[in-house]
Amino acid sequence: MKITDTIRRAGRSLRQAKARTLLTSLAIGVGAFTITLSLAGGQGGRDYTDAIVKANTDVKELSVTKKQPASTGIQEYNADAGAASTGPFGGQNVETISNKDIADIEKIDGVESVTPNYAPAVNYITTEGQKKYVATISTFSPSVTLDYAAGSVNGDLKDNEIILTEDYASTLGFKSPSDAVGKTVTINATKLSTSFAAEPLTEDYTFTVKGVSSASGLAFRSQGSILISSNQAKTIYTYINEGTSAYGKFFLASVRVKDANQAESIKTVLDGRGYEAQTAADVLGTINTFINVLLGILLGFGALAVLTSVFGIINTQYISVLERTQQIGLMKALGMSARDVGRLFKYEAAWVGFLGGAIGSGLAFVVGTIANPFITKALDLGNIALLRFDPIQIAIVIVGLMLISVAAGIFPARKASRLDPIEALRTE
Amino acid sequence: MIEIKGITKTYGKKQNAFLALDNISFEIPDGTTIAIIGKSGSGKSTLMHAMSGLDRPEIGEVVIDGENILTLKQRKIDAFRATKMSFIFQSFFIQPNETCYDNVVLPLEIAEVPRAQRRAKVEAALAAVELTDKIKSKAANLSGGQKQRLAIARAIVNEPKILFADEPTGNLDSATGEVIEDFLFNYSKKNNATLIVVTHDADLANKCDVQIEIVDGKIHSTKGLKKSVRKGAEL
Repeated sequence: MKITDTIRRAGRSLRQAKARTLLTSLAIGVGAFTITLSLAGGQGGRDYTDAIVKANTDVKELSVTKKQPASTGIQEYNADAGAASTGPFGGQNVETISNKDIADIEKIDGVESVTPNYAPAVNYITTEGQKKYVATISTFSPSVTLDYAAGSVNGDLKDNEIILTEDYASTLGFKSPSDAVGKTVTINATKLSTSFAAEPLTEDYTFTVKGVSSASGLAFRSQGSILISSNQAKTIYTYINEGTSAYGKFFLASVRVKDANQAESIKTVLDGRGYEAQTAADVLGTINTFINVLLGILLGFGALAVLTSVFGIINTQYISVLERTQQIGLMKALGMSARDVGRLFKYEAAWVGFLGGAIGSGLAFVVGTIANPFITKALDLGNIALLRFDPIQIAIVIVGLMLISVAAGIFPARKASRLDPIEALRTE
Repeated sequence: MIEIKGITKTYGKKQNAFLALDNISFEIPDGTTIAIIGKSGSGKSTLMHAMSGLDRPEIGEVVIDGENILTLKQRKIDAFRATKMSFIFQSFFIQPNETCYDNVVLPLEIAEVPRAQRRAKVEAALAAVELTDKIKSKAANLSGGQKQRLAIARAIVNEPKILFADEPTGNLDSATGEVIEDFLFNYSKKNNATLIVVTHDADLANKCDVQIEIVDGKIHSTKGLKKSVRKGAEL
């Protein structure tokens, strides 16, 4: 029997038992639905992490800390560490990066520059005729993608320029983000080494607003923090900390490498010298691990559903063989080979798998497409769709389910192919 | 030419052994109509199964056109049945949910007849049993006689040289039965095909050229056999 004829006959047999076929397929469909959605979620998740990493890190940049001592038990006091309860790192000994460390790292082959993370702890930010508000200052990196609500920056920030967030722009009394651009704001800092003097020394720094970053769901670093140039951050940092025990000790430094491909090897070198370095790939990896675990759990549920439906297929196909004993006997009497009889039932199982896969994946696609805008809005993902359907993946899911169904159909198909036509055709 | 040589078939083992066919031998020329008659349990159906290669007796030969089909590989026997012989059964065994066309085209699919030739063959077979107008009807909607006519159409669609009919009129009233008989004999005559009818209906048996009566797995008597060749040890 030709394969096309067998496939058509298999399809026809299924059409004659529509309800049963549909119900069996639906069992597989549940699995297909879950698997397709989890795969789409994985795709979307990877898109999302990709975007996060692009928005926050640079592939040429490593963020470096000193290796910390094991933090169990009570630690011995270390005067060199950035310790003391009043210090910026709380009441713990923290191994910090000193200027000597920075000079050492800069000598490593392939390192372009090392910038400590200044993060000056300023008092407040304000603008003319407004109240004073607390602020966290971070440094601007030209290689990190920012979403701007108004204005934009080409290349690096100048020392007298600042980027506000949308929240700060409105809190500081600007009518809109674009209204803020070009206006001046003032940041106030106190010199710590004189804080016990009768009158603490303070200094105002004035900036022109160059841009306003929009609250993107992608950014960890820029959100809620105001960005100034690295150089200006250093100036303010120096002013605040000079003369204190914490001065010249940094928890974090970013190392810029000359070639993105060297990031990994330089990481190894740094590791050997007592530093801990994280590349952009590490950051991506950490988030992806999380997504993959979630994905794995979902896929597990899908696989469980498929496993259950496998028994459904075996059961229905087996009953179908028993019901159609006479038909099978007749076909064999008419010269159909045992192999073709077996094939007929395997193809029926394949049809069921195809139907289930198509129904489940199709439904997942429809549901996902409808739900995407709502999910994006609820989770504040910006332009990213959490569920991205890949036609190739859907095709693989359907083909995979067809193969699984055929495997499930092997046992009933063998029963059919071994049927004795004489027994099958014996009239009662 | 069909030659049956010393067929013996046993069911069961040792003390429970039951001799269904005991050393049966005869020859049938092409185009003959034969009735195998006998009571139920006499072994006449077993003989038919052996002659068609559905069953394999332990001893004996079934030589069709010079080839002993009992020694053929299963695939060859399947191909043999698909192209050279066909069956009609008492309970029709048609697929009620399928259309008449789909019922009749089955042997053509099994024999891998090219698709382009199928329609014409199916139409010719349905025309031969006067069911042309039912080609698209569901088989379930046919009357009993029409169902057996449909079964005949399915049996003759691939123009077999040997047609087995197992109690073809057993489920039909006598008037309808006669119509069915006419279709079978007409086909045999027109195509010089051998028709082997298994029946206990004496009227139907009398219409055949040859009658072979089986009692307890042995040939009890024969009628119309031109040469009485190796009919069995007892005769």
